[in-house]
Amino acid sequence: MNKKPVFESPLHLKIVKFFHENQASIDTPRGIATWIGEDRVKVKSALEDLVKKKILIADRAASTTGYGYTRDTALISKIKKILASLG
Amino acid sequence: MQEDNDQIYRDELFDKLKNSMSLKREEECIGCLIKPALWWIIERPSPTIGELEKLVNDSCPCLKKGHGKKPKPCAGSILGVIKTAAETRKLTRFECIEGLHGFVYPITQSERIYGYIGTCYTRNDVSPEVLNIFSAFTDTIVREIQKELELSKLYETLRPRAIALSTVHTVHRLISSTLDLTELLPRIARLSLQIMRANRCSIKLVDAKKKTLLPKATVDLRQKKTRLKKVKVGKWAPGKAVKYGRPIRGDNYLATPLIDEDVIGVITVYDRIDDKPFSVFDQEIMSTLAEQAVIAIKNAQLYKEQEKLTMGSIKSLAKVLDTRAPGTYVPRASFVKISLAMGQEMHMEADEVKSLEYAAILHDAGEIVVPDEVLTKPTKLTGKEYAIVKEHPAAGVEIIKHMKALKSVLPTILYHHEHFDGSGYPKGLRKDQIPLGARIMAVVSAFEAMITTRPYRVMKTIDEATDEISRNSGTQFDPKVVETFLNVIGKKEIRSMLERELYE
Repeated sequence: MNKKPVFESPLHLKIVKFFHENQASIDTPRGIATWIGEDRVKVKSALEDLVKKKILIADRAASTTGYGYTRDTALISKIKKILASLG
Repeated sequence: MQEDNDQIYRDELFDKLKNSMSLKREEECIGCLIKPALWWIIERPSPTIGELEKLVNDSCPCLKKGHGKKPKPCAGSILGVIKTAAETRKLTRFECIEGLHGFVYPITQSERIYGYIGTCYTRNDVSPEVLNIFSAFTDTIVREIQKELELSKLYETLRPRAIALSTVHTVHRLISSTLDLTELLPRIARLSLQIMRANRCSIKLVDAKKKTLLPKATVDLRQKKTRLKKVKVGKWAPGKAVKYGRPIRGDNYLATPLIDEDVIGVITVYDRIDDKPFSVFDQEIMSTLAEQAVIAIKNAQLYKEQEKLTMGSIKSLAKVLDTRAPGTYVPRASFVKISLAMGQEMHMEADEVKSLEYAAILHDAGEIVVPDEVLTKPTKLTGKEYAIVKEHPAAGVEIIKHMKALKSVLPTILYHHEHFDGSGYPKGLRKDQIPLGARIMAVVSAFEAMITTRPYRVMKTIDEATDEISRNSGTQFDPKVVETFLNVIGKKEIRSMLERELYE
């Protein structure tokens, strides 16, 4: 995994950190924006970026989309190392 | 466990105290009034004489200056004053070296002493007012740090629970958004897998005889997948969960029954991706999820029953109508299929497509008001007769409007004889004024009329009828709808079905 594209902004990093710390969480853009204290619209866009990178999984329904953390253990290990290196 | 937590709390408290900017400010402010002074913190409620000797050895300015004061007697007097401060819970003054004093202030919380803040080597003429300020200042700093620690502890306890609650709420929204069991059950399985961080999840429902569990949905992330199989009630973890009506948990599995008035099924998750065993907390979360799943499954089952009932009523009505002109009102499955495929290709919502299915069966129900001699007349209709025929869409609406489940079908039935150029009936609507369902039904019903036997018309072949539909694109029919129709009718599966029904 390339470090640069994954955390292309501090917001992306914040979201990845949130899910890495709460791996069982499934939440809406509004919920995640509340947990990390960021703007919902920007969070929604960043969430979709992270889905494209397969770091997040999206469960889409008519009324909302739930986002959860990847279940790929190799990817989770890589993210763990990157987060540790960032402090 | 409690002792461990106490030790963690004590460590955090003294860590914050030693790094407290407020305490440093106090040292500066009070220090001006009592100097020269040595400040120290003791991190135990009952320090030993050895610990105090070390403190004195390490920091006493008297020793550093070669004052001649031996550390042992000094440590002894500090130990004595600490005992007094611990008993009185108040700031206690003591004699340090000749002419100089010291103070000890106990750090307490809820009757408990955690340690002491003290000074040595201070002036002997410090007024009681200054000592009061010292007490109040120190007390405020300690209380502030204690509150901060309590808040931090509360945050650490509540935040994961709040996040879990938010997850449960999101799951509720996701699974409540569909009434289609074929979509719902895999979704519940996917969400269970995600929340439990498991490798496999299966949902089994109890069959009618309640002796077997039938596999209905499974998500398996492993390379070597397990074959779906029936399980007898009472056998294996899923069967036991159903039999006993309670979760069955092992290191690598967690079976949670779906309980309504009776047990209707079971969700089982297997093998956490981190290889850790399933916990009591996992069990609680799965039980909450199962409660929500039961409601969603029951709703979907009820909706399916309701749909069957509605479809049954519609088919009965069509059958009654068909007795007047056999073969006219009971639509062939292919026409219904063409309507559904067109709705899907035109990106209609699922409920709109369903309405189209009902409309495909009922669009000419209003012809019941048309007399037999008009309906079966083989020659051209008179103006008066045609006027009667033109009433059939409104008559159809009158018949069907009493069935609430069919409310959404009414516009399609009322306007399916409108023409795209505004020359149709009953209202002469044009283009987008005509509901999309009615524009689709206009094409399908015209096609149906052309390729089936009618008293007033020679039956056309599929290609002849398709050509005529194309010729009327933009006048009688919406060009986009015609394009979709041609696309659908060109599909091998639809074409074969039509030919089978018409010619075999």
